[in-house]
Amino acid sequence: MIETLKENVLKAVHIAEKDAKIYFFKGPNITFGLLFPAIIYLAFSVGRTADVSLVIPGLVAMSSLFGAGAIESLALPLERAKGTFDRLLAAPISLTTIIVGKALGGFFFGIFLSIGYMVIALLLPGAAIANPLLFAFGIVLSALTFSALGVCISTPFRDVPQAMPPATLIRVAMVFLGGVFIPLSAMPGFLQLVAYLLPITYAVDMLQQATTGQIFAQALVIDAAAMILFSIIFFVIATAVLKRTLR
Amino acid sequence: MNSIVKTQGLTKQYGDVLAVDNLDLEVSEGEIFGLLGPNGAGKTTTIRMLTGQTTPTSGTATVANHDIIHQPTKAKQQIGVIPDISNIYEEMSAWDNLIFAAQLYSVPKIEREKRAKELLELFGLYERRKDRVAGFSRGMKRRLTIAAALIHKPKLLFLDEPTSGLDVQSLRMIRTLIKELNEDGVTVFLTTHHIEEADQLCQRIAIINKGKIVTVDTPERLKASMEKRQVIEVSFTASRGLEDKLKGLSCVTDVSMLGDKCRLQVDEASEAVPSLVDFARKHFKSKFGRSFR
Repeated sequence: MIETLKENVLKAVHIAEKDAKIYFFKGPNITFGLLFPAIIYLAFSVGRTADVSLVIPGLVAMSSLFGAGAIESLALPLERAKGTFDRLLAAPISLTTIIVGKALGGFFFGIFLSIGYMVIALLLPGAAIANPLLFAFGIVLSALTFSALGVCISTPFRDVPQAMPPATLIRVAMVFLGGVFIPLSAMPGFLQLVAYLLPITYAVDMLQQATTGQIFAQALVIDAAAMILFSIIFFVIATAVLKRTLR
Repeated sequence: MNSIVKTQGLTKQYGDVLAVDNLDLEVSEGEIFGLLGPNGAGKTTTIRMLTGQTTPTSGTATVANHDIIHQPTKAKQQIGVIPDISNIYEEMSAWDNLIFAAQLYSVPKIEREKRAKELLELFGLYERRKDRVAGFSRGMKRRLTIAAALIHKPKLLFLDEPTSGLDVQSLRMIRTLIKELNEDGVTVFLTTHHIEEADQLCQRIAIINKGKIVTVDTPERLKASMEKRQVIEVSFTASRGLEDKLKGLSCVTDVSMLGDKCRLQVDEASEAVPSLVDFARKHFKSKFGRSFR
């Protein structure tokens, strides 16, 4: 049992390594993963006097959302179009391991981008992170959730041009509804309800608490539990969708 | 001899299209088995089902004594798959492709490096091992795809149209390799639409058409049964119901239309030709001589 689990984890890591070699520096990944968060942020924050304690969590959560998801929106449909995905299907790997492997690539890219954007944000005057450990935990959980979301969104598609528009639309909508630019408290009631259904809301909240140092234990537990729950749901849906596409 | 592949009522339906219909097959351990049929006959779908790349709509299949639906991972550990189109990662080097393939089959690190070197040398790709596959010729990509399928020393090898679109040199090399692998104990399940290829390589052939197995036998027996039948090709001026009228002739066992020609299967050509002349006189009176040739 443990041996099988170890073998599956290793195979998932190998899939992630392979994806990193092939897709990390591909054009669409750079555009949608690396540059898109910066462009959106600049477009909506230039000229506004935003509190720096809101800038850091917003920017980092957004970079994780785009970074962790972009690689899957590219890798999964592209491999299906080229036929290389069949190599994975014909190999002795469970569908869940394939999904986890695909998500792992996004997970690492998401963490890498989050750290990059965090460093840039920390260069702003007065910027500081009060609880770095919690912030790191927030980055890891965000990357996990958003990579699972990325796999979930891209599994049904068999080509990149099909996969990219809905993936980008979903992420952009999340950014505007999830408290990145507008604090939840400033939103109308029904939009607040919508925000609580989005994983980015919990990521922003956890990163914000880590940045300001104003910790609310109960809220943190909810944030962490919500992100883990979202990740599980996304993985289960992605595996089910993949299974369905083989019928 | 033990069965290494066994299917019962294996069926695959894509929407309204019945790609594979109630397939019953048995492949013995150690043989080269060929699935022969025209394009769209269901050959690739059969391989995809047997290798876990698509789920059957109904029926059962065991591969290397493991149910492909309920124990797919165990079944897949025993097999190597070579698809009709080379599907290696073009962005990676030949070496990285083989190492990745070995990792998917849990081949230990030392063993996989040794095996990758052996295979690259065997396929004449060792000098190009660090090059990205994108720059390889079609034949080289094909060889690398085969090498990747052999990295874990499979008991059973599935090859879908293995020589399709290859130059003569690569074609010969692959046919020789298939025979050598079989001599080393690897069971081979291949698909082809070339009757000569099936004849040269296979110990048994299943002929598949429109998703159904027409017959399964040794190449020699199949050829003997084919030789009993003779084919006449005739061309008539287009006429409504011509195919049905020809089918009504007692000397004709089957009719297929090929463009402006009718291909007639007959038991004895010398008896059939006079009947056909009579048929032409009767149905094409005014144009006889011009339309019948």
